[in-house]
Amino acid sequence: MMPQHTIDVSHLRDYEISSEAPLWWGQVLLAAIEGTMFCIMIAMYFYIRLSMDMWPPPGIQLPREVLPAICTLLLIASCAGTYIASEASKKDDRAGMIRGLVINLVLAIGSMACRGIAWYQWNFKWTSTAYGSITWGVLFLHTLDVAADLIFTLVLVILLVIGHHSPRQRLGVHVDSIIWYFLVAIWIPLYVTVFWGPHIVGAP
Amino acid sequence: MSTMLEPTTRTTDVDRERSSLERVWANESGLRGWLSVTTHQAVGMRYIVTAFIFLLAGGVEALLMRLQLAVPDNTLLSADKYNQIFTTHGTTMMFLFAVPVMEGMGVYLVPLMLGTRNVAFPRLNAFGYWMYLIGGLFLYWGLFTNTGPDVGWFAYPPLSGPQFGIGKRVDVWAQMVTFTEISALCVATELIATILKMRAPNMTLNRIPLFCWGMLVQSFMVIFAMPSVMIASTVMLLTDRTIGTHFTNPAEGGDPLLYQHVFWFFGHPEVYIIFIPALGMISSIVDTNTRRTIFGYPAMVLSVVATAFIGFGLWVHHMFATGLPQIGEAYFTAASMMIAITSGIQIFCWLATMWTGRIRWTAAMHFVAGFFFIFVAGGLTGVMLAAIPLDLQVHDTFFVVAHFHYVLIGGALFPLFGGFHHWFPKFTGRMIDERLGKVTFWLLFIGFNLTFFPMHLLGLKGMTRRIYTYPSEMGWGPGNALATAGALIILIGGILFIMNALKSRKYGVEAGANPWDSGTLEWAADSPPRNYNFVLPPACNSRYPLWTPLKERIGVTGLRTDRREVLVSSVMDAEPNHRYPLPHSSIWPFVTAILSAVGLIGSIFSFQWYYVACVLATIGLLGWFWPRRKAEAEA
Repeated sequence: MMPQHTIDVSHLRDYEISSEAPLWWGQVLLAAIEGTMFCIMIAMYFYIRLSMDMWPPPGIQLPREVLPAICTLLLIASCAGTYIASEASKKDDRAGMIRGLVINLVLAIGSMACRGIAWYQWNFKWTSTAYGSITWGVLFLHTLDVAADLIFTLVLVILLVIGHHSPRQRLGVHVDSIIWYFLVAIWIPLYVTVFWGPHIVGAP
Repeated sequence: MSTMLEPTTRTTDVDRERSSLERVWANESGLRGWLSVTTHQAVGMRYIVTAFIFLLAGGVEALLMRLQLAVPDNTLLSADKYNQIFTTHGTTMMFLFAVPVMEGMGVYLVPLMLGTRNVAFPRLNAFGYWMYLIGGLFLYWGLFTNTGPDVGWFAYPPLSGPQFGIGKRVDVWAQMVTFTEISALCVATELIATILKMRAPNMTLNRIPLFCWGMLVQSFMVIFAMPSVMIASTVMLLTDRTIGTHFTNPAEGGDPLLYQHVFWFFGHPEVYIIFIPALGMISSIVDTNTRRTIFGYPAMVLSVVATAFIGFGLWVHHMFATGLPQIGEAYFTAASMMIAITSGIQIFCWLATMWTGRIRWTAAMHFVAGFFFIFVAGGLTGVMLAAIPLDLQVHDTFFVVAHFHYVLIGGALFPLFGGFHHWFPKFTGRMIDERLGKVTFWLLFIGFNLTFFPMHLLGLKGMTRRIYTYPSEMGWGPGNALATAGALIILIGGILFIMNALKSRKYGVEAGANPWDSGTLEWAADSPPRNYNFVLPPACNSRYPLWTPLKERIGVTGLRTDRREVLVSSVMDAEPNHRYPLPHSSIWPFVTAILSAVGLIGSIFSFQWYYVACVLATIGLLGWFWPRRKAEAEA
């Protein structure tokens, strides 16, 4: 029952570092899963806001603006490194990939350091009313995702440095950029919610 | 890309290709090999068998409840045991049976129907299965150590919160959900990537089999619904219980109703996550057994997509009794009634197909007919419940229990049983005993209606859900006795089904590749399929490629057979785009699942275990992704 006519696909490339790769789609779907999660967290933030009179509640200081803003700017800047690495991955430029990923890592770790210092200055924990719970919840989940991606990026750098840059790793570098762009992009509404929210929708 | 290639006369040496594929796709032997399997047929079958075992467990729990309720003032089960058993029953059926069995059918059948060799992410597939298995065993470990959850399958706070939900029972439930959701998300991701990117050449979007459309839509629903339950169960409930957050604590500004919103934003789509793959199975059974193409294919696809969209706008109808603003209630009433339209369109399309076709009354067709009867009845009570005055009257009564069993058993279980009889020859290479299959159907059909129809009346008479007994003065005795009698008939049907499957697997008539003379590509593979599915993957020239003459069919050559390679095609028109090597089998998905499980189970005792989970999972993933020696890295 074998068909007598065939089409030959042997001349097609075996790997495509672009949105044609199934892995690219996998990564976009991962971003969709996490994006859904963060959108629900934002909705929860404003829902909880509705059931409280004061926002933030008495005794909790308003989040300060400067450090989180620096943190956000560093995160956005780190996308430049991601871009360099992902373009280099398409050209099999090993040095370019390493350079880009290192820039990404350094700026992102700097950003997370700012975030850590800002947390240290706060006078409330997740146990301080539902306001504390949702604020810390948003920040914890985003930081967890960022940390996971930074570990993945670090592993990619190590692989590249010790000489693995087969299409498999190059595709890894390319799709890594998808999730990083997403984490930075989703941070902007999260940042606006957590740090400007109390100014915009807060009661006196 | 203009890579749509011209067919030429075949020159490939098929036998050489076959032996090379046999070698490359072979699973390793021994325990390690068994734990390392990543081929979709094996993983899919593990999902299906495991889910059926959980169905059996859930069924035994149901039977225990029915025995307890059979007569008034019964003392077979204590109130506490009854609570654990009804919670475990609901949790098992939703999280450990219904969703995983549909995922398993998808994992098994979708690559075959698309004419490819495996799912897009085989290791993720294996990982998802192990997470599911561990989550299921975790729940039953809880039940057998008297730590079975006892707060209902949706675990509303404050009953489930830190104040009233004492012990670890609720935590077991909450973290079990995480395991099964991770598993569902793994399958959803890989099936979407597979369906969009790995179809046979020329299988354009409007030629995808309806079952694959169903799995595609269902997978997108999983992607957008499952994060919600993870937030409800772990972010809200578990952290409230373990580290003292206040998401559901009204004294500190939290809100138990918020939990209900977030839970049902998952919980309602969940119904369609179970139901939509079943619709796909019905389409496959109906077109094969009416000997004609399905009537109204575009309408079918569009109504499945519309069902998914509307399905996300219904969740509040589970909360009509909570005193929400009336404008909101009115919207959700309208949406709840509207979803009957999309279901109706599909039912009319199937009826039109059957009306104009030549029906072959196989066992599978019997189950489809049973679906029509039961699901339509469940749909009618659904429209009734969408009306708020009636909903308020029968809220949390057996009327609701009757309704959702009609919808879920009628809408998902009957099509699933039909699908199981239909694809049994493909799974095992042997025909299932049709006569016993039909007897099974009648036992299940009669038993089901006898069990659940009286519950409508009991609900109207005021019998509330989740009570472990009732005094005889209530007058609920006869209805309950009838229901229990029905449950015993279902039990006989279930035993017959298991016996039939076990017997036919061994002694059934050999089926051959396409015993039903079906039109879709899974029937072009051997029964049971080889690990690589097809020696020459097929190209597709219509919605029913196997109903076109053999001389017009086209195969694909040129994929490497010295490694696990598949063809990637374009999203819309399935034009061949590039070749793509899939990873080899690996023990690491299993190891990663075990390592993650250690941390996740620990986290019900202390939050710090999440960090342990992260570190352990990272170790697992390193092993998973680390390039092997050069030869394998290139292979």
